[in-house]
Amino acid sequence: MKTHMIKRVMVALALTVAAVTIGSQAHAGQPRIGVLIYRYDDTYISTVRNALSRALEGRSNVTMQDGKGDQAAQNDQLDVMIARQVDGLLVNMVDAQAASGVLTKIKNAGIPVVFFNREPDLNVLKTYDKAIFVGTNAADAGKMQGDIIRNLWTNHPEYDLNKDGKFQYVMFQGEPDNPEAIARTEWSVKQAIENGIQMDQIGQTFVCNWDTALAQGAMESALAANEGKIELVIANNDSMAMGAVAALSNVGYNLEGGSKYVPVVGVDATEQAVDAINRGIMSATVKQDGEAMGQALANIILNMVDGKAPLDGTDYQYDESGIAVRIPYSPYEGK
Amino acid sequence: MNDTKTFDWKEWLLSYSLYIILGFLIVLVVVVDDTFLSWGNFSNIMSQASTRGILALGVAGMIVYTGTDLSAGRILGASAAVSASLLQSVTYGARMYPSITEPIPMIVPLILSILVGMFFTTINAFGFAVLKMHPFIISLGTQLIAYGTLCLYIDSQAGGAQPLANLDARYISFVNGYFDLGFTKLPYLVIYLAICAVVMWVIWNKTVLGKNMFAIGGNPEAAAVSGVNVTRNIFGVYLIAGVLYGIAAFLEAGRVQSVTTNTGLNYDLDAISGCVIGGVSFTGGVGTIPGVILGVVILQTINYSLYYLGINAYLQYIIKGLIIIMAVAIDVRKYIKKK
Repeated sequence: MKTHMIKRVMVALALTVAAVTIGSQAHAGQPRIGVLIYRYDDTYISTVRNALSRALEGRSNVTMQDGKGDQAAQNDQLDVMIARQVDGLLVNMVDAQAASGVLTKIKNAGIPVVFFNREPDLNVLKTYDKAIFVGTNAADAGKMQGDIIRNLWTNHPEYDLNKDGKFQYVMFQGEPDNPEAIARTEWSVKQAIENGIQMDQIGQTFVCNWDTALAQGAMESALAANEGKIELVIANNDSMAMGAVAALSNVGYNLEGGSKYVPVVGVDATEQAVDAINRGIMSATVKQDGEAMGQALANIILNMVDGKAPLDGTDYQYDESGIAVRIPYSPYEGK
Repeated sequence: MNDTKTFDWKEWLLSYSLYIILGFLIVLVVVVDDTFLSWGNFSNIMSQASTRGILALGVAGMIVYTGTDLSAGRILGASAAVSASLLQSVTYGARMYPSITEPIPMIVPLILSILVGMFFTTINAFGFAVLKMHPFIISLGTQLIAYGTLCLYIDSQAGGAQPLANLDARYISFVNGYFDLGFTKLPYLVIYLAICAVVMWVIWNKTVLGKNMFAIGGNPEAAAVSGVNVTRNIFGVYLIAGVLYGIAAFLEAGRVQSVTTNTGLNYDLDAISGCVIGGVSFTGGVGTIPGVILGVVILQTINYSLYYLGINAYLQYIIKGLIIIMAVAIDVRKYIKKK
């Protein structure tokens, strides 16, 4: 009796696995591209992922894996892709500093690779002639936030609640050791100061791992301690900015049509943030063009697989390093 | 149990259920994709299972006590940070210890890594044996302490919190090297796992410590009455676990080649899953070293084949969950029978 049941469970499981796999077996003959994503549930990366899937559809056979924010898991996935003998790799490192080990494996297998989004040391990439990087310039997003802060300050004198001529702000940082997060935190304030604004931080920088719920919790405690003194919220990404907005709205700020408002500035231009800006409950964001990134990645890797120059037939250009392509940011301050 | 001479196939099925599950999984994957059966894949799976296996060997002892260890992953993170920081390439400008200008012998960071592991498992042992806390709770606390320590350590670098990377080439080849057997590679990692497994097998089966551990896990009161020093035994088992965590951490840092505040996250759960799949019972007093190794290999085979088949990332979680439940459900039967 029992063994019957076990058999049935096993057969059911076998069918599930088989059914799931059939989908990925199609398109024989086309180049096989392996894509390693640092984390599926990152909003911006999801945009890139979807754009990339669309751009590669019909032109290649794609296998994509979720690194789950764990470099060890990503290494395991890379081993599998190399064992699978994919024709090209697109790698979004979990931890960009681990790139030298990853690159060694790829180099030994001789597979062309494009690293994207999280930037490895370009001098490491230069040791392999089939490796390039596509990303943004981390400092630029921060600088653009700094320019947005100047606009907010000059256009809205009422934001200076205590009339001391300084912008009192709280800062939300992505991860403690992520170079992108560090650059945004640093350059947003630096650029605002260069623009002639006096910046005054309230409390410590909140490190909220890019996460909405964590940022909301941190903002609630900041408000409990300093309500009425916070004049500006700067966040490394929109997810955390949305957390700050939620916390503000819980105590009567940043409501649609409400009278009390604290400007909130994020990065990424996620759907949710753009909507919040249009509704007037958030101030501005910096757009990382996920669509453009996805398109660029697809075109470049297919060129490399075909043995052409990576940028062949595209509008992209290398920056001064000679192996990196930068997709520009743009500010979004509402319709 | 078998008075009759006839072959009891049900009994056989149950006692070899783990091997049957593993075999079935492999057959299943091969049916879907026949390129799966290769020495390359085998060697990949074994080397990926190695550091998790060493960690699981440590956790297994605690499960035999009807306990568990939720802090193993974060302890591994803290130990790995110590190893990596001392073995950064001496030509790397932003290394944590610029005062290290000559490569230091690798045994030093290995020993320090082990000491860090032992330090944290001692806290767990103290909570369990002396304060009489449930291991689940004490290790929940230790997990946070180890994580905080890891973050403080990584943040204490001159350049702020940066991943500990750019490791010494000697270290990388010590961990990631392999013997070329012609038809396949034999990764050093697998040899390290084998050594740890053999040593642990001897400890579990041939020493008083191991025998008492099973006695305590089966029935602590009875063990105490019959003269077993329970406290000393617990400290012994936890210290050995600390040594294993330290070794696993040293190897993991070299394998991933970068240590961050995220290193070790959820490794404890993988180790516990491996033990449980391998027949180490949560009701205590039951478990074998070959079982633990097999459990970890089964878990890694599941992981690897789901990647290999290119199954949707979110479905992977569901399938993995189902397989773990099924494996344990089958394996549990044999202990129900014995009781």
